[in-house]
Amino acid sequence: MNIGTMAEQAEDQKQDVSNDAGQKPEMDKPGGGAPVDETADANANREEEISTGGKNLEIGNFRVFTDLRLPEFDMGHCKAYAADNLRRSEGNAFALVTDPVLPTRYDLIKFLSGVHMAGQIDLLDSAIAHWPIFGRKTMVLFFEKPKGGHVIVSSGKQRSINEQDIAASVVEPLMNVLQALGEKGLTHRAVRATNLFFGDPEGGKVILGDCASGPPGYDQPLVYETTARMAADPAGRGVGTLSDDLYALGMTLAELAIGRRPLASMTDQEIMDIKLSKGSFQAIASQEKLPLIMIEPVRGLLCDDPEERWGFAELHAWLDGRRTKPVQGNTEKRAARSQNISGKDYYTVRALAQGVAKNWVNALTPLRDGTVEIWLRRGLGDNDRAKAMADAMRQLQWAGADKRSAEEVLVARSILILDPSGPVRYKGFSAMVDGFGNMLSYDVQHGSGPQRFSDVIVRDIPAFWFGRQEGYSPEVQRLQSAYKNLRYYIQQKSAGYGYERCLYSMVRNQHCLSPMIEQEYVVDIAQLLPALEKAAENVSDDAWPVDRHIAAFIATRLEDDVEGQLMAMQNPSDEVEYSRAIISMLAVVQWRHGPDNLQNLSHWVARLMEPAVKVFHSKARRERVETEIPKLAKRGNLVELYNLINDEQERRKDQSEFVEAVAEYSEAESEVFDLESSGPARLEMAEKVGQQAAAFASTMIALLTVSALFLMHIF
Amino acid sequence: MAARGRKPKGRSAFSGLSVIASAVLLFMVALPTFITLTVGLLPSLVAFIFDRSPGRMMARCVFGLNFSGVAPYILELWQDGAQTVGGATQQIFQPLALSIMYGAAGLGWLLYLAMPPIVANVLNLSAQRRVTELRKNQRGLIKTWGDSLIKEVDRSG
Repeated sequence: MNIGTMAEQAEDQKQDVSNDAGQKPEMDKPGGGAPVDETADANANREEEISTGGKNLEIGNFRVFTDLRLPEFDMGHCKAYAADNLRRSEGNAFALVTDPVLPTRYDLIKFLSGVHMAGQIDLLDSAIAHWPIFGRKTMVLFFEKPKGGHVIVSSGKQRSINEQDIAASVVEPLMNVLQALGEKGLTHRAVRATNLFFGDPEGGKVILGDCASGPPGYDQPLVYETTARMAADPAGRGVGTLSDDLYALGMTLAELAIGRRPLASMTDQEIMDIKLSKGSFQAIASQEKLPLIMIEPVRGLLCDDPEERWGFAELHAWLDGRRTKPVQGNTEKRAARSQNISGKDYYTVRALAQGVAKNWVNALTPLRDGTVEIWLRRGLGDNDRAKAMADAMRQLQWAGADKRSAEEVLVARSILILDPSGPVRYKGFSAMVDGFGNMLSYDVQHGSGPQRFSDVIVRDIPAFWFGRQEGYSPEVQRLQSAYKNLRYYIQQKSAGYGYERCLYSMVRNQHCLSPMIEQEYVVDIAQLLPALEKAAENVSDDAWPVDRHIAAFIATRLEDDVEGQLMAMQNPSDEVEYSRAIISMLAVVQWRHGPDNLQNLSHWVARLMEPAVKVFHSKARRERVETEIPKLAKRGNLVELYNLINDEQERRKDQSEFVEAVAEYSEAESEVFDLESSGPARLEMAEKVGQQAAAFASTMIALLTVSALFLMHIF
Repeated sequence: MAARGRKPKGRSAFSGLSVIASAVLLFMVALPTFITLTVGLLPSLVAFIFDRSPGRMMARCVFGLNFSGVAPYILELWQDGAQTVGGATQQIFQPLALSIMYGAAGLGWLLYLAMPPIVANVLNLSAQRRVTELRKNQRGLIKTWGDSLIKEVDRSG
């Protein structure tokens, strides 16, 4: 498609939206991409002004028109813009600009890029580029335009899909996507009706939209999340499993069958309450009128017990017209009497867990005085949970001086006892264990800071979560071993560890948050040095090119082990080792990933090499190194700069010569002291030696005289 | 220790006895020589009696030169075939002979007095030269290694 075609298309779009008035930009700045109610805001999307001013920029193989919005292709929190594929003339591409303060999904981008998968929108490419509207770099995803547009149109209404066709048009392609992702151990986590497009203009098979532009499940409406995950914050909903995608598929079918989003009139809290009290399917069935043909798959897919929930086998059977085993609508056990927290009655453990989490302070009393334990034992007849609760309370009694902290741990543990498959909740923090990384990323980039996450890790709450999981799960095992590393990182206070290390190790596509290079959106280690090179142009003289974020980023992303350098960085007061460690890390990165010429960064590093030069004791060597530094800095090679101060043979020689010199100086000093302090002793010795010499001389004279006389007599 | 302590005393006693025995033998065999030696070595005899210092360095000094002064007269006495007491007495009481013998003994004493200050000066000069040399070496080391050398020396105590 050329620019002329784009202009025509834009003109068409202008006509489409000409009746709309006003505009409401949704993500015109980083962080603006909060989870959106897509149907509610869809009108606003359509109302955006579309200009054909011709502002464009080339990103990789694409030309993106920054003033040519395509609201009909907006997905989740991300905005779509018109784009031309410069390599291919056929096909229609568009660019989806991601929110720079939300991490994208690396594994999905890697898997889906350039791959055509039936049922999934084609992800052509991805690139990191400067986005003028944000004034900083961000990730841009390039998709092939679906030929048929959104299934749920912008007015919030659904384009008609015959109930009879849902199986072939929706279920089959979506199953195909979920199956393909499942085979790679991936999850979609963005299966929802508003993320569906028609694959052809006739409205045949649908395709799923983007799933990689934000944290998993971030854009999902609450009703699409399982009862286990819905209590988590949107950013912390976690990667989840295939079962979570199948649940979302069930809700998608319900929405398509009903014609609008289920429970749309309810608030999030009401949705949670009704799902917890009645079970997901009953909650939908009691409020909405489901077509008869859709009841069976929706009931099966919305089963709250993941073990009972329909899988591919049941879906295939349903597609083939075979009957499948009926599933229970609500497996949650309901107590005979309620447990009251802050004036609200709760009848199920999950609902009570959510009630405790919402009333963090007031919930402590019934937990501490054993009311909840008695309710579990007598009201619910759940002796296992009651025993676990009693154990948790007993541990409170063993708490030392920090009673308050122990009480908070008791509340957090009680929540996990009540809802072991739910998120970890701690004083407002609420995230699934597999969503910790994205939650931390969200908190750090949206002003909440890392404290909540650090508290959860330091208090060892996830360990309790792992302990409450029943049966063997390789996924839980993997999370558990990853968690051990997190605790170690958090406990270490020096650069290269801390929450920063946790962040980069958990979120593969997290860009480096160092204030020096954050705007450059550095996701891969290879981007780091070019970004620092740019930052070096305007950096203050005393700033170090490696801060806590960059150290943690390098430690996580670099293939080589840099623990030695991180150890050396533990003591910033030791300037020599500190600067050597920093130069070494940067040199390793350049050696591994280039680029070869980093003039600005080299000059920056050269300025900071003054302490590192002190590694040599010899003044001559230092002078030689100091003369060499500017020459090498001009060549922009950090490796050469590092080698200059890290010539091991030269260093060893310098060190051994220095040790010898110190010994020689000390010996000389001690000898001088001896000589200067031995005056009386020397006089005494001189007396003795003088007398002996005189006696000797006298004896010799006598002998010579006698000998001479004898000789004279003889001759 | 006691044995080691007794040993020099024994040797000294033996030495004294051998001197007396030699003197008695000389008195009996060659009386003129004995007279010349006795009179000529009188300063040495006095020095040996009064010098109680270890090694009797002063006595040795005096004796060495004193003997050098006496030795020509002994030889002269031996060249005279008669070797009579009178000849020996006549020879020994000549002022020149006495002056030479006792003058030589005096020179020995002067040597004993002068030698220690000379040695002390030599040792002092040598020490000063060594100190100068060491300081020069230290300055060279500081020039090569800088202040870090001093810091390291101070640090290592």
